[in-house]
Amino acid sequence: MSTIEIIDRAKSEGRTILTEVESKQILGEAGIPIADAQLATTREEAVTAARRIGLPVVLKIVSPDISHKSDVGGVKLNLGSEEEVTAAFDEIVAAARSAESEATVLGVSVQKMARPGVEVIMGMTMDPQFGPVLMFGLGGVFVEVLKDVSFRIVPLEPRDARQMIRDIQGFPVLEGFRGQEPADLAALEDMLMRLSAFVEEHPEIQELDLNPIFAYKDGALAVDARIVLS
Amino acid sequence: MKDLNQKLERAFNPRTVAVVGDKRAMGYLWLNALKDFVGKIYSVQISEDEIPGIEALGIPNYMSLLDIPDEVDYVVCAVGRAVSPRIVADCVRKGVTAVTLFTSGFAETEEEEGVRLQQELGDMARKAGLLLVGPNCMGIYNPGLGLRQNAEQPWGEAGNVGFISQSGTHCINFSHLAYVHGVRCSKAVSYGNAEVLDVDDYLDYMTNDSQTEVIGMYVEGPRDGRRFFDALRRATRLKPVVVWKGGRTEAGARAIYSHTAALATEDALWNAAMRQAGAVTADSLEEIVDVVKGLLYIKPGTGRRVGLVAMTGGQSVIIADAFGRTDLEVPLLTPASYEKLASFFNIIGGSYRNPLDAGGTVLMGFHMGNLQRMLDILEEDANVDAVVLESAATFLKSHRLMTRTLLDNLLDFVSDYKERCQKPFLMILQPWHLEGEMVKIRTKFLQRGIATFAGFQQGANALSKVIDYHRFRAGLD
Repeated sequence: MSTIEIIDRAKSEGRTILTEVESKQILGEAGIPIADAQLATTREEAVTAARRIGLPVVLKIVSPDISHKSDVGGVKLNLGSEEEVTAAFDEIVAAARSAESEATVLGVSVQKMARPGVEVIMGMTMDPQFGPVLMFGLGGVFVEVLKDVSFRIVPLEPRDARQMIRDIQGFPVLEGFRGQEPADLAALEDMLMRLSAFVEEHPEIQELDLNPIFAYKDGALAVDARIVLS
Repeated sequence: MKDLNQKLERAFNPRTVAVVGDKRAMGYLWLNALKDFVGKIYSVQISEDEIPGIEALGIPNYMSLLDIPDEVDYVVCAVGRAVSPRIVADCVRKGVTAVTLFTSGFAETEEEEGVRLQQELGDMARKAGLLLVGPNCMGIYNPGLGLRQNAEQPWGEAGNVGFISQSGTHCINFSHLAYVHGVRCSKAVSYGNAEVLDVDDYLDYMTNDSQTEVIGMYVEGPRDGRRFFDALRRATRLKPVVVWKGGRTEAGARAIYSHTAALATEDALWNAAMRQAGAVTADSLEEIVDVVKGLLYIKPGTGRRVGLVAMTGGQSVIIADAFGRTDLEVPLLTPASYEKLASFFNIIGGSYRNPLDAGGTVLMGFHMGNLQRMLDILEEDANVDAVVLESAATFLKSHRLMTRTLLDNLLDFVSDYKERCQKPFLMILQPWHLEGEMVKIRTKFLQRGIATFAGFQQGANALSKVIDYHRFRAGLD
């Protein structure tokens, strides 16, 4: 399905929050490097998907009613065999049902277990004053506790993308802190520019999170995504 | 757009002004403010009780704008809000270019009648192409024409700083305080509720105005943040804009689903927008005056390394702290500089790492030869991008050592140095307990084109912001 079809379907179903699978499909189409996710509605489909993608994989609950997937036991990482995939499917669905009995469960998403990198977050929100704005920050504790993030108004110029990465307090972490690999800053800048172009083209998007993104020394990959429509 | 700019040009440079509704109870605020206006001035007042007082001021009074036997470019309307729609209608019929509504009691009251009346006035003006400034404001200031907002405002010499203010108080206070800091307005406007013309319209006008070299603004909340942002971006590519933001807008309550929306606070976005647009920011009247002064008087530069000269040990410590606390750096000098300094520097009660603790070596300003050697070394030093000198004037004054000759020599010396020095140069002139006297000395420095600041922090902050702006213009960072 194309971006427009996905958005139209969500609207016709009265949904403003797109599923992870939908969000990733849209962002992948916009040229943003993102870990592809496939929807599996049965454990057999989950195994087939895992086989096609290649082990190890990650399984996550897909439900329009559950936004914090790991809080309800809806995420299983690093599944290395088909048996583990089957078991994980059942556990995720059961955990989701016991946490949120009213929730509509569409299935689970299957995606490649990405190799770890420096965790980064990017996002967008529609501001009543300035219109669409982009955010950049380091993931985990940096964003949750320290709120160490930077913003720019869309559309970004290359200078804005460059600055917003360097404006955060934790920037040295991206330059390769304590022997860690330095992150590919050009890839992050490119991702911000693509995101800017994408949200400019889609004024119907109200909020967007790419969290986390793994930044590597060669490139970057978003492993979770959420899009909220207005 | 071009049409609007032409109309604003007429509004800021009117040939004829009419004041509607001024009265004795207001101390003839507007008629007095306009007593030195170089063009023609008329009054409109229908109250029999008020007319003799107005005529006693030597200003011809009419019963209606329409009766004035002249074209009227600009009207100041000071009537009560209930009458204001009639006056605006008369402005339209008379073909007036712009009207300032000093009248208040509109949308700022947040009550229905006020909001409705403002909308009504706005619709009338928009339909007719009448420029409506305000309501609830002090309107236009053009000191070159004696077009003022109160009778005390400076006038006569047109300056080169434009000021745009949502508040009348801040607009008038800026014109006063800036003036005594050697900063003169080209034009200013207090725009109040911004029903028809908003901050971005005035900003575009000042951006295009060749008389205006630096723009200062006081903004609480633009009606359209996006248009303001775009106008700001256009402006900063041509001239510096210093934005003083006051207040907060009410956050619209809505459900938030993402981290991004939760973190996008009003302050975070405003600061990001200012940085992205290349605007310089200030948080108080004193700060905006200092920063504008810095932008006008300090030569452009993009390097952040400062060479500091202070007069005593304690001052050397504090000047280094103040400049080091901003995004400026206080570097070591080159070995060549240290070699030269070693040849004459008096290290008894002094030192010369950077800052140069120089009071003993320059005899608090009496030994100008040594002061010159020091400043020349800093000018030539490759590790130094900008030079800061603490003036000994306050010390000399407080020890009754300051003579007119000494001050004149000092003024000649530093103004000559500023001319020669290719690096940004500024002075710190702390008033200590001698405020009244130091204001006079500050004025003399400013008249020679030397920026002086009342404290190390103020100087450091202004220099840091001046350099940030020039780095933005140069495409650095």
